[in-house]
Order: sequence, then structure tokens, then C-alpha cells
Amino acid sequence: MDLDFSPAERDFRAEVRDWLSANVPDPPLPSMDTAEGFQAHRAWEARLAAARLSVVSWPEEYGGRGASLIDWLIFEEEYWAAGAPARVTQNGIFLLAPCLMRFGTPEQRARWLPRMASGADVWAQAWSEPEAGSDLAALTSRAEPAPGGGWLLHGHKTWSSRAAHATHGFGLFRTSGARHQGLTYVMFPLDEVAVRPIAQLDGLPGFAELHLDGVRVEESMVLGEAGQGWSIAMATTSSERGLTLRSPGRFLATADRLLALARASGDPAAADRAARCWTEAEAYRLHTYATARRIMAGEETGAAASLGKIFWSELDLRMHALALELLGERAGETPWLDGFLFALAGPIYAGTNEIQRTIVAERVLGLPR
Amino acid sequence: MNFAFTDEQLAFGAAVRDVLRDACPPAALRTERRPGWRRLAGLGLFAALLPPERDGLGLGLTDVLPALEEIGRACLPGPVAETAVTAPLLPEAAAGEVCVSVLAPGQAYAADADLADLLVVLGEDEARLVSGEAARLDPRPGIDPCRPLFAVAYDTSEPLEAPAAPVLHRLAVAGAAQLVGVARELLARSVAYARVRTQFGAPIGTFQAVKHRLADVAVAVEFAAPLVWRAALALDAGAPAAGRDASAAKAAAGEAAALAARSALQVHGAVGYTDELDLRFWLARAWSLGAAYGTSAVHRERVRSALLGGDARRWP
Ligand SMILES: Cc1cc2nc3c(=O)[nH]c(=O)nc-3n(C[C@H](O)[C@H](O)[C@H](O)COP(=O)(O)OP(=O)(O)OC[C@H]3O[C@@H](n4cnc5c(N)ncnc54)[C@H](O)[C@@H]3O)c2cc1C
Repeated sequence: MDLDFSPAERDFRAEVRDWLSANVPDPPLPSMDTAEGFQAHRAWEARLAAARLSVVSWPEEYGGRGASLIDWLIFEEEYWAAGAPARVTQNGIFLLAPCLMRFGTPEQRARWLPRMASGADVWAQAWSEPEAGSDLAALTSRAEPAPGGGWLLHGHKTWSSRAAHATHGFGLFRTSGARHQGLTYVMFPLDEVAVRPIAQLDGLPGFAELHLDGVRVEESMVLGEAGQGWSIAMATTSSERGLTLRSPGRFLATADRLLALARASGDPAAADRAARCWTEAEAYRLHTYATARRIMAGEETGAAASLGKIFWSELDLRMHALALELLGERAGETPWLDGFLFALAGPIYAGTNEIQRTIVAERVLGLPR
Repeated sequence: MNFAFTDEQLAFGAAVRDVLRDACPPAALRTERRPGWRRLAGLGLFAALLPPERDGLGLGLTDVLPALEEIGRACLPGPVAETAVTAPLLPEAAAGEVCVSVLAPGQAYAADADLADLLVVLGEDEARLVSGEAARLDPRPGIDPCRPLFAVAYDTSEPLEAPAAPVLHRLAVAGAAQLVGVARELLARSVAYARVRTQFGAPIGTFQAVKHRLADVAVAVEFAAPLVWRAALALDAGAPAAGRDASAAKAAAGEAAALAARSALQVHGAVGYTDELDLRFWLARAWSLGAAYGTSAVHRERVRSALLGGDARRWP
């Protein structure tokens, strides 16, 4: 067992750090949930891509560097420590792309991945429906075979992050009555979809509902086979809960800032809580390195991702809540308030923490259903 | 970087587990003070941290973490970890021939001192050695039947050359590794019981309140363990932040074990509250080891002072 980075890993860290210190926008970009901020974030994604830093762990042919998961974690640590912008492309890169790589045809991969890596396309995840949240398999949106080939999409999706400004969506649609086996994974352009932006707690349209009324897509927009959607989607949820959506980098950077805030406050009780958060962010980092090694050795981590989802989401919320306590009414003048509002969503999205606890109990611990 | 145990490290742990399965079944916890001692010595556990020139295995603390976790899982009685960890300090080769108890600074009592040939008395800076014959022991009430406590008085002692702090850190990390094992065993026993105990016509493990409680224990253990690994690596490497990391490990493991104990008792209901059920040994071990070599509160305070003092270094 060791925790030592190789010379190549150290070089990579140095390269990323140097590039970020020369390129991270100052002042920070406006929120990506405004029209102006969204464009600014896309431009930032293009800049990252030009330096081949937007998707470091992808194969070179799609714009990556074929970097290992450890390199990717190093990248993420540097990225968040540098205060770089949140990733407007994250749902595509971290949720759709792993499925495209695993289940997509070579044509689908070649067509969509490079555009995703450069920020040319921004994808929204369209899974939830008004009557299908935690019980996702209850969804009723349909895909019907279109005359002459392809599919017609009908239905109502909601809480779709970034859909207010995104270019494309991907989601599950019912193609037969079977609860799980009747679902199909479909990609679609958003320009023919009626999109109603929904303001979040911060007042900005962070997500949207989608009304699909016979939106026509080609056959090539189906990922995998019709009826395979659920199993493909489940492959995505474990990356969503596990390390790819929430790398430790974000929490390490937050913990460092929180420690500075607590130190300045001179309040020993707050310092105690901040120190505990710092240690927990470290624990998440170390755990993630161990998990990355297991994945690189070809092991499946499966339901264990749910342990991490509970841990990071509650840690993130604890950190932001403490910062707000320390800042009092000044919080609104700092990025901590937005961070707090976002952290509040952590225990809800990517499968609520209640659902995760049940998964841990049944599939990790083996308790009866 | 390979943040996972090597095959050798796991094999050493497995060898210890096999010995303990045989030599330390739960029934032994009621009758024996040092079950398996000779066989553990035969595996090299007490010589593990000694350098080869003193007939030791020349291993680091990291190498014996899986073995220490097994010791916690088995709730093994006797000062096994104390003897293994202090061996490099002792003038003559220890290798299982002597049995060592430790009196740590800030701690009133030494556990298992009546079994000890030698007592290592640690101060903040210096370490002293007291022979078993020279020590006058006064038994004190404690919580763990397998870890009896003694007040120690003595007139003669010898100074030890080695500094005390690294030994204390090692003891804290060895305690933390055992606490992870204790927590895992408490969780496993709770899960096993929740699968078979039936109320309202269903196993209690089907109820969400029970499931979620045990899931929280699983989370706590899962994220305490890597802090323990990191602390052992830091100590073996002589890293500047090793003391801070040892404290982080001991606090997290102590709290995870306390949560596992609290949840195990609740899940077992009244039968868990009896002396007859073996569960009591693991409950007591979570509490007694949690208090040994610095309580969670003491170690949290050390982490806080280190971090606020500016030592927020990450590895490497
Ligand atoms: C910021 C944010 C971004 C999101 N982005 C997206 C997105 O991009 N795409 C997308 O498709 N969706 C998105 N979602 C939706 C998210 O996936 C759902 O909110 C989530 O699946 C929960 O569904 P729900 O909100 O309908 O809650 P419900 O399922 O109605 O649950 C309400 C409460 O009941 C509890 N509950 C429900 N069932 C159980 C049970 N069996 N046992 C115990 N408790 C239960 C839940 O834990 C929760 O506390 C986003 C949500 C948020 C907050």
C-alpha cells in the first residue's frame, strides 16, 4: 500500500496547475443558469478543450488524453483548488458519455463525444417525470415507432438540470408495458421540445420541464437496443452517485476555504466542526483513491457507490451550513450562499439519500427487502 | 500509488484470523486472558515491527493493519497490540517472550498490567520501563471484562532511549485499526440478527428504520478505515503530519465504533442488554478502546490545533 504519485503524475499535476493559474477567469463567470453565464461557460469549456483538459480520462480520439482515473482525480483536485468554473457540460460528460462509451455504436461515439468535449453540445438529463421521481421505473413518457423509421417521443419530463439552455436531452422512454424491460434510452435535440424553465431556490432557471409532443428522432438516437434502457441507465446511476459526478476535489477545496473562515472567526466550537469537515473531505479523497484503484484493477464497485453518495452529500451540506452560520447576514455577499443552496440538493438528486440508505442496507449489507 | 493492501499484508491478516477463529471463539472471552498468544508469536506478530538485525520481520505498521483489524474483530483479550507496538523500544528482543502493558500520558490506568512482564510508562516526551516485579498494582473498575484496568505505582524505573511521541501515535493507530475491526464485527452481528429476529410477522431487517440505521454505520466505518491506513503510512514514512493523521484516525475509528455499538444494542433490543449474549464483549471493546490512548475528543482537539496551526498538508 502506498500513496505516492509517480513522476509522470506529478508532472501532470504541475502542468494542470500552471495552466489553470494562467487561465481561470477572474472575476468568476456569471452563473451558468443565466443566458449570458451559459454562453460564458460554453466558451470556457471550449478553452479547456483546446488545452485538451476538458475530458482528460477519455481516449485521445474523442478529445481526451487517455489519462488514468488517478490522473483524473489529480486534475479535479487542481481544478477545484484553482476556483475554476463549475462544469456546464457535466451531465453529458459524466452521465451520458460513460454510457455512450460502453453501449454506443462507433458512429454514435464519433458523432457525439467530441462535440460534448468541446462544449458545442450541452446535454440535459431527462429522466424524472412529475409522477416518477424516486420510483423512476414508473415513468410514462413514450417512444413510438415512426412511420418510415425512427421514433416519435411523447411525454412530460421535469427537473431537468440545465435544460433551460441546453442543446440536447437524453432520457428513458417507454416502448412497452413491462415495468423495467419496457424502457428505452433515447437522445433527442431540444429545439423541437417545449421547454419551460423552472426557477430554483436561487431564483435562476437551473432546471426545466420538457413537454414532448411527437418529437421525431432517427433510429441512431437510441442507445443500445429498445427495451435495454433500464440496464443502461443503471450503469449511469452508479457513475452519478460514485466518483465521476462528485470527485473529492470539490469538497477538498470547500474544506480548505471553510477552515480559513473558521480560523478567522476565532470561535473554537466552529473550528472544531471545520476541522472535522476537513478530515472528512480527506477521508472521501482517500477512499476515492482506493476505489479508483479497484476500478482500474477491473473490479465492479456497484452498490458501494451509494455509501459515497450519502457521505459526500451530507458532508457538503454540513460544510456550507457551518459557513453560513459563521457568516451570518454577510453570507449573501459571498459564494457560500449559492454553494449552500446547491448543497441542499445533494441529498435529493442522483437518488435521494433515503433511497441510497435502502440500497446500502439491501445490496451492500444484505438485509431482506 | 496503490492505496490498497498488498497480497502479503492481506495474507498476514488472514493468518491471524485463522489462528483467532480457532484459539479465540466467543466462549474463550469468558474464560481466558491471553488466548492464542503463543500461536500469534509463532506467526511473528510480536516481532513484526522489530528490525531484522534484532530477529524481527522489519515490517511497518501498515503491514500489520489487516492483522490488527482481525484482532478487533475477534475481540481478542490481552495486550497483544501493546506488546507488538512497543517491541522496538525494548532493550532485549521481545518476540513474544515478554508481555507488555502501557501506561499512556493523560491516562490513569494501564490495561492488563497484571499480565505484564514489563510496563512501558510514556510521558509526553520521555518513556520509562518498569519491570513487572517493581510495579504495585491496584485493580480499578472498568467497562471491558477482557481489558481489566490497574492503577500502577513503582519506585524504580529505567529510562528508554526512544522518544515517546511516535510510540504513542503508533498505539493510537493500532487502537484505531482494532476499532475498525470491532465496528465491522458489531455491524455484521447486527445484520445477522436483523435477518432472523421476527416481529410483526417480518424480519426486523425489512423495516426501514433498522435498515437506515445500519446503513449509517456502514458509511461511518467505510470512511474511517482509509484515515487509519493513511495514518499508518504517514508514521511509517516519518511524515511531518503523522501525529495529526494518527489523531484523525483514532477519532474517526472511535466514533465509528461507538456508533456501531449504539446501533447494535438498539437493533438487538433487550437481549443485547444482557450479560448472556456475547455481543456485550464487542460493545465493551468499542467503549474501552475508544477511551484508550486518547479519547475521540482528545484526538479531535489535536487535529483541530494542528489544522488551525496551519498544518493542513495533504499527501504527499
Ligand atoms: C438540483 C436538482 C437537480 C436535478 N437534476 C435532474 C436532472 O438533471 N434530470 C433528472 O431527470 N432529474 C433531476 N432531478 C430530480 C431528482 O432526480 C429527483 O428529485 C429525485 O429522483 C427524487 O424524486 P422526487 O423529487 O420526485 O422525490 P420523491 O420521489 O417524491 O420523494 C420525496 C421524498 O420521499 C422520500 N421517499 C420516496 N420514496 C421513498 C422510499 N421508497 N423510501 C423512503 N423514502 C422515500 C424521498 O427520499 C424524498 O425525501 C434533480 C433534482 C434536483 C433537486
